[in-house]
Amino acid sequence: MMATLIRRELLDNLMTFRFAAAVFIMLLLVVANTAVQIKDYERRLASYNTAVKTHQRQLQEGKTYSVGKLSVDRPPNPLSLFNIGLDKRLGNAIRVYHGFVPTLWDTEMHGSDNIFLNLFTSIDLVFIFELVLSFLALIFAYDAIAGEHERGTLRLTLTHPVGRGYILLAKYIGAMLCLLVPFLMSLLLTVILLTTSTAISLRFSDFLRVGGIVFSSVAYLSVFYFIGLLISVIARRTSTALMLAMFVWGFLVLVYPSMVRTVINLQESPQTRTASAFNEIKQIWEEFDRERKQFFTNNPGLGKDMSFLGIMRGGDTVEHIEEDSSILQYYYRIGLCVEKLKEKSEPQVPHIQNYYRFLGLQTISTAERAWLVRERALEDIFVQPANIERILLKLSPVGVYDAATQAWIGTDLDGIRDFFTKVRQYRQAVIDYFYDKEVFGSRKWFSADKGAVDWSTLPQFSFQRSNVVINAKRALPDVCLLLMINVALFIIIFLVFVKSEV
Amino acid sequence: MWHITKREIYDNLNSLRFALTTVLLLALMVTNAVRHIREHPKRVQTYRDAVTESSARLTAHADGSLYKLAQYGPGNFYKKPSSLHFCANGGESILPDTIKVGDPPVFATDSENRVILQGVWSLSYPDANLQNKNVGPKVSQVDWAFIIGSILSLIALWFTFDAFSGERERGTLRLMLANSIPRHTVLIGKFFGALISISIPFALAALVNLLLISTASTVHLTTEAWGRLGIIFALALLYTSLFVALGLLVSARVQQSAVSLMILLLMWVTLVVFMPSTLASIASSFSPATSFDEFWKQRNPIEEDLWDKYDEWLWSSKVDDKTLRGKSAFFTENAEREERRHEERLRYRSSQVYRARAITSISPATLLQHLIEGFAGTGFERHLQFVENTQRYARQLREFVADTDRADPESPHILGVREGMSKKFITPESVPRFEDTLNLSRDFNTAAMELLLLTLFVLVLLSGAYLAFVRVEV
Repeated sequence: MMATLIRRELLDNLMTFRFAAAVFIMLLLVVANTAVQIKDYERRLASYNTAVKTHQRQLQEGKTYSVGKLSVDRPPNPLSLFNIGLDKRLGNAIRVYHGFVPTLWDTEMHGSDNIFLNLFTSIDLVFIFELVLSFLALIFAYDAIAGEHERGTLRLTLTHPVGRGYILLAKYIGAMLCLLVPFLMSLLLTVILLTTSTAISLRFSDFLRVGGIVFSSVAYLSVFYFIGLLISVIARRTSTALMLAMFVWGFLVLVYPSMVRTVINLQESPQTRTASAFNEIKQIWEEFDRERKQFFTNNPGLGKDMSFLGIMRGGDTVEHIEEDSSILQYYYRIGLCVEKLKEKSEPQVPHIQNYYRFLGLQTISTAERAWLVRERALEDIFVQPANIERILLKLSPVGVYDAATQAWIGTDLDGIRDFFTKVRQYRQAVIDYFYDKEVFGSRKWFSADKGAVDWSTLPQFSFQRSNVVINAKRALPDVCLLLMINVALFIIIFLVFVKSEV
Repeated sequence: MWHITKREIYDNLNSLRFALTTVLLLALMVTNAVRHIREHPKRVQTYRDAVTESSARLTAHADGSLYKLAQYGPGNFYKKPSSLHFCANGGESILPDTIKVGDPPVFATDSENRVILQGVWSLSYPDANLQNKNVGPKVSQVDWAFIIGSILSLIALWFTFDAFSGERERGTLRLMLANSIPRHTVLIGKFFGALISISIPFALAALVNLLLISTASTVHLTTEAWGRLGIIFALALLYTSLFVALGLLVSARVQQSAVSLMILLLMWVTLVVFMPSTLASIASSFSPATSFDEFWKQRNPIEEDLWDKYDEWLWSSKVDDKTLRGKSAFFTENAEREERRHEERLRYRSSQVYRARAITSISPATLLQHLIEGFAGTGFERHLQFVENTQRYARQLREFVADTDRADPESPHILGVREGMSKKFITPESVPRFEDTLNLSRDFNTAAMELLLLTLFVLVLLSGAYLAFVRVEV
C-alpha cells in the first residue's frame, strides 16, 4: 500500500509544471553562480600568489634580523564557493613579529584586493539553496493535504485501510524524492565544473565535505517541506495555505535574520571592557620600558643614545609603539639596520649585542604576558557577541543550515581561527630558530656591515585546512539540530492530522 | 476603471495577506526607527567631537605665524553623518569617514634629534575599512533600502501573482470581460488597485517610522531632509509599480496561480538577489590581480629622484633666495607627489567600484539601492562627494596662505620655508573653515540616469503586461 501511495505522489509531482520550472531554475542559478564564483576564486588565488611573492621579496630585502619583514598569507578556501562565510571578509595577510602575538584582528588585506568592492554583497551556493530550496519545498508542500481536501480525494484515500501516518510519510517521501532531483542535478554540475577548473584541485576529504553539505541541505529542505505540510494540514484551503507559506518563507528566510541583528544591542558593555584590558596591556609594556631603561642605566658602556644613532653612518632605525586601542593592539617595535659602523664605536658593539639579547628576551616574554590578557579580552569583545548573534539566528532553520555548511567547509570562525593558531605556532617556531642561532645577541641583529642576513634557513610557513573529522565534529551539533527540528515537526504534523476531521 | 480599482482594493483590504503585510512592514519599520534613534545620536556625537578636535588643531596651527599654518595645515577631515542614515546604510562600515592630513614629513634630523628638514602637509585618503572587527554572521541591515528593495518588491509580487490566474481559476475573469469593459481598463484598474493596496501598509509603516524618529528629541530632521524623504517615498512607489507590472505580466500568461507565484519568485530571486552580487563579482574579476603599487610603478617607470634634483640646496644652511626657493620647491613637490599618489590610488580603486556599479545597474534592485543612497546622502557617491569637498577646501586653504603671504610686501614670497614667508601675525578667525555639505541638485544630476533607467523598466514591463493580457484567451 505504502509503495502505491509513494508512486502516486511521485507521478503526481513529476508531471507538474512546477517540477519542470524547479529543475530549470535550479540549474540556471546554480550553474551561473558556480561559474562566476570559480572565476572569483581564481582571482583571489592569483592575488594570494602575488602577495606571497611580494612578501618573500620583502623578507629578502631585510638586511638585518631586526628589520626582516616576515608576513604570511591566508590562502582562499577552494570550497568557499559553497559558503563564503568569513573567508573573503576578514583580512588575509599578517605580519609575524617576535614581539607580538598575532590574531585575526591584526590582519591586513592583500595589496591587490580592493576592499571598496566589499560594498557589493557576494552570494554563494548555500545562499541560493537557502532561498530557492526552501521556497520549492514550500511550493511542493502547501497543497499536499489542503489540495486533496479541497478536491475530496483525501476522504477517498482514507476509506482504505491506511494509517494517517503512512499517508503523511508517503507524501513526504514522494515530494522529497522529486525535490532532490533538481538539487542533486545542479550539485552534480557544480562538482563537474569544479573538477574542470585548473585552479581548484579537490582532494578526497573535500568530496566528504561536499557530502556533508549535501546531507545538511537535505535536512534543511525537509524542514521546509514539513513546515509547508504543517501549513497545509492547518489551513485546509489551498489559497490560504499558499499565502501563509509565502509569509512564513519571507519571514524565516529574509526578515528574521536581518531583524535579529538590528534588535539585539551588544555594543555597550565592550566599551569599558576594551578600555580596561587596553590599560592592563599598556601597563605591562610600560613595565617593560622601565626595565629597558633600567638596563641602560646599569650598563654605562652602552652610551647615552638609546637608539644608537651615534654609531651609525647611513642606515635606518624604526623604534616606536604600535598602538590601536580598538583592537587592543599595543606593542614595541624595533628595527635597526646599520649600513656601516663608525670605527670609534667598535668597542661599543659587545655592549649593544648584550643589550639586544636582553631586549629580545624581554620583548618576547612581555608579549606573552600581554597576550594572556589580550586573548581573553578579544574573546569577550568580539567573539562572544558574534556567537550570541549566531545562536539567535539559529531560531530560524536558515541560521542552522548556514552554520552547518560553514562548519563543513571551514569558512566559519573556528575554521578561520585554525589558521591563526597555525600562525602563532609559526611565530613560536621562528622564535625558536632565533634562539638556536642566537640571533638576538648577534651582530646581524642590528648591523649589516658584515654582510646581509641569509633568510633561506628560516622555517617555512605552511597551512593545511583542518581534518575533515574536525569539520564534521563542528558541524555535528547543527546537523543534529536540523534533524531534531525535522522529527519534532513530523510529530506535530502527525498529531494535528490525526486529530483533524476530514 | 475606478470600479475595478475599488473592487481590487476592497478585495485586498479584507485578505489575509494585507494583514500579514501590515504586520511585517510595521515590525520592520519600527525596528529600523528604534535602531536609528539609538545609534544616530552616538554617530553625531562622535562626529562633533572629531570636528571640534580638528578645528582646535587648525586654530592652534593658525595661531601665530603663517609658516606654521602652511606647514601643518588643517586638522583631519570628517564625514558628516547623514540624518537620513536610516534610509540607506550605504556600506557605512566599509567606507572610511576620515581624510587624514599627514603631519609634515621630517626628512632629516641631526644627532641630537633636532629637525633640519621638514616638509609641508598633504592629504591622504585612507583605504576602505577592513571588516575584521565583525566576526558575526553576514546579514543585511534593516534600512529603508532593504525594506523597499527586498521586502516591498516581494510583497508586490505577493499581491499580484493571482491577479488574473486566480480570477481565471475562479471563473470571475470571464464574467468581468463579458461586460463592455476594454481589456486595458481592466489591466490599469488592477494595476492601480494593487499599487494602492500595497502603498497603504507601506505608507502606514513609513509614517510610524518617521513619527518615532521625528518625535525623538535626539534626532532632528530638516526641511530638506523631509523633501529627500518625499523623493525616496516616490522612488519606492515607482519601484513597487515595476514589480506590480511584472506580477501582472506573469499572471496574465500563466494558467495556475501556484505556477505563477513560483515563476515570479524565481524572477525575484534573480533580479533582487542573484544579479546584483553575481554581476558585481563578474565586474570585479575584470580587474587584474595587481596591486596599486605595481600599477603605479608601471605608470611612472622612472621615478625621478627629488633628492638628487634638489641636492645642492637641501643641505645648505644658507638663507639666500636660491636655496630657499630650492627647499620650497622640494617640499611642495614632495607634498604634491604624495597627494597625487594617494589620489591616484583612490581613483584606481573607485574605477573598479564604478565599473561594478555600472554593470549591476541592470538589476532594478541595485538601481533602487543607488538611488536611495544618493538621496539619503550615504554610500559610495557620497563618499566621493566628501573627498571632493575636502579637496576643494584644501585648495582654498592653500590659496588663503598664498594670498595672505602676497599681501605682505615685506615677505620674500617663498612658501613652505620659515625664512621665506610673511612674519605677520594671523588670527585663527580669518582662516577659512571646512564644512561638509550635501547638494540636492547634484544628487539629482548623478541620479538622473538611474532614475531614467528605472522608469524605463517600469514602462517596458507595463506595456509587456498590456500586450500579454490583450492577447490572452480567457
